[in-house]
Amino acid sequence: MPLPACLSRRSKGSIRSTLALFLSLSLTAAHAQPADAAQYAAGEKLFKGNCASCHKVDTKMTGPALKGAKAKWEGKGDLYAWVKNSQAYLKTGNEMATAIWEEYKPVVMTPVSLTNEEIDAVFYFVENYAPPAPPPPPPGEETASGDTGSNNWLWLLVLALLFLVVGLSLSGVKRSLANAVNEAEGKGPLPESTRMQRFRAWAWDHKVFMSFVGLFLTVWVILNLWDAAWVIGVYGGDEVPHYKPEQPILFNHTLHAGKADKGNLAINCQYCHSSAEKSKHAGIPSTNVCMNCHKAVNAGRTEAGTKEIQKIYKHAGWDPEKGAYTGKEEPVRWVKVHNLPDHAYFNHAQHVAVGKIECQTCHGPIDEQMDVAEQWSPLTMGWCIDCHNKTEVKMAGNGYYDEVMARLNNDAKLGHEELKKYLEDDKISVKELGGWECAKCHY
Amino acid sequence: MLSTMRTAKTLAALSVIALLAACGKSDPNSPGVEYMPDMYRSPAIEAYVDYGQDPYYHTEEKARTQRDRVTARKPVPGTIAFNEDAGMAMLNAPYPFPNTPEGYEAAGAELKSPIAMTQATVDNGKAIYEKFCMHCHGATGQGDGPVVNNGKYPPPGAYNGPLKDLPEGKIFHSLHWGKNVAMGSHASQLSKEERWHVTHYVQFLQNGGKMTREPEAQAAM
Repeated sequence: MPLPACLSRRSKGSIRSTLALFLSLSLTAAHAQPADAAQYAAGEKLFKGNCASCHKVDTKMTGPALKGAKAKWEGKGDLYAWVKNSQAYLKTGNEMATAIWEEYKPVVMTPVSLTNEEIDAVFYFVENYAPPAPPPPPPGEETASGDTGSNNWLWLLVLALLFLVVGLSLSGVKRSLANAVNEAEGKGPLPESTRMQRFRAWAWDHKVFMSFVGLFLTVWVILNLWDAAWVIGVYGGDEVPHYKPEQPILFNHTLHAGKADKGNLAINCQYCHSSAEKSKHAGIPSTNVCMNCHKAVNAGRTEAGTKEIQKIYKHAGWDPEKGAYTGKEEPVRWVKVHNLPDHAYFNHAQHVAVGKIECQTCHGPIDEQMDVAEQWSPLTMGWCIDCHNKTEVKMAGNGYYDEVMARLNNDAKLGHEELKKYLEDDKISVKELGGWECAKCHY
Repeated sequence: MLSTMRTAKTLAALSVIALLAACGKSDPNSPGVEYMPDMYRSPAIEAYVDYGQDPYYHTEEKARTQRDRVTARKPVPGTIAFNEDAGMAMLNAPYPFPNTPEGYEAAGAELKSPIAMTQATVDNGKAIYEKFCMHCHGATGQGDGPVVNNGKYPPPGAYNGPLKDLPEGKIFHSLHWGKNVAMGSHASQLSKEERWHVTHYVQFLQNGGKMTREPEAQAAM
């Protein structure tokens, strides 16, 4: 089960054990099977197929909650007729029916073609409903943090300092020993000199060694500075920690877009980022897109999740009690993650609709391991043109390149050497179509 | 004199070490250093940029106005999308059926697809369906998508079950306005042409994966 990002790594352990406890408790609850399992299963199937779009068992949604409905109707009217065709039954002037209609109008319940026995089965299921056990947390969720690697050189530094201290004190000991020996042999003490002076004298005596050490140190420092210079202003990729800002709403990408077989919802990226194939920007969805589902989903898998859903309601101006918009919207101040400088032009539509590149190619395993969105790729020019060089253009069946393809084939037949060489390996890279021209991206 | 020199040297060495250490560590919330902001920042307003971070072209006052305004919005009601093709432009005319039960019934009776259902529209509809519908309605329209199965979402009716005879006008109406609480409006995500393509694919699923309905099924209707 994906955990929300607000939980620190330390608190995961305790939550996990609580979860396990909860899991075992709810499992025992689910085991309390109803008496007539066949009736229950039949009812469940009918309920899901015919009723569940608008009715929940224990809370009201489009229509009223079904639990207890049978008892409520006892002796007050014909429940079967009401379920089968509510509008027709309403005309009989039944008090109960009128009261329910007043509460839920103008939504009309679609007439249902079920027999009395089938309706009985549905209500049997509803009355004996036991919530299914939550899916067990998938194994291998714990991912190692990448911080350990960058701390290595710090440890080396500490070790080097330790050696220095030990070395210095040893030289002090050696000196006092030598003085003691000199004293015992009746010679005078060693000439008074500072450590630095002694070190200089020693270094002068070991000129070759010291010049090698000096050379090594100089090269080492230059190399390190060179490496560091390459990652200035880079906030993604393998070399540096990724830019991963905290967002005003802790939206969990893995939960929403992750694989269905891991218990996630597998919503296509473009459901929310629908402008990715139509526009320069992939787009942050307006809150009405969130509300497409979250009108019905008002509770998260965890308490923290529910809190985040409440934030959407606040921003969208939705009153969950009344089930209506208040009209008071508030902007969500999302933090932009991928900051491409203005002097480089990038267009999502070109890459998604024409290039047919998967979102994950640049954005990384956002559907698998990113509770919080982060900048996965370095977004450096080297990274861009490297891909433009390697990537083969998907020409076949791609309307965008039909003309280019026809001309290339035609010109190659005419013997234009320059064009011929593009086709000789039967592979056309982005670079060969001008993907390395400066003005493609810088204009 | 000598000691001041030494202190200065030590301080210099320490500051270099501190600088290197600062490079090694990084705050995941920091967008990083921006050298040459005049080349990073666009003088023209760009989407999704907080102009409060940009003292180069914009003032804090301007940024505050920007922050208090909803930027990700739906088009103004009544907006008609431009299209060079006159036939397609007609598609973008305002939708005449209101979001009421009567409007739903009227759409079912009167609204017909202005685009002919062809293999191409069904194919495009399938591509759109897989991005916008499949996670709830399921790959074949059984109402068994992962949001329903894993998210305990109210399941939609199956296209070959309760929704088998839903007319195209009602399908389009539901895409435009949404249906009940469980399905929201998809008008902001899909153009009218795309919505008709999806409608065609849903009809394709209603027909059991065929372009037209089986003859015996038609007789039964």
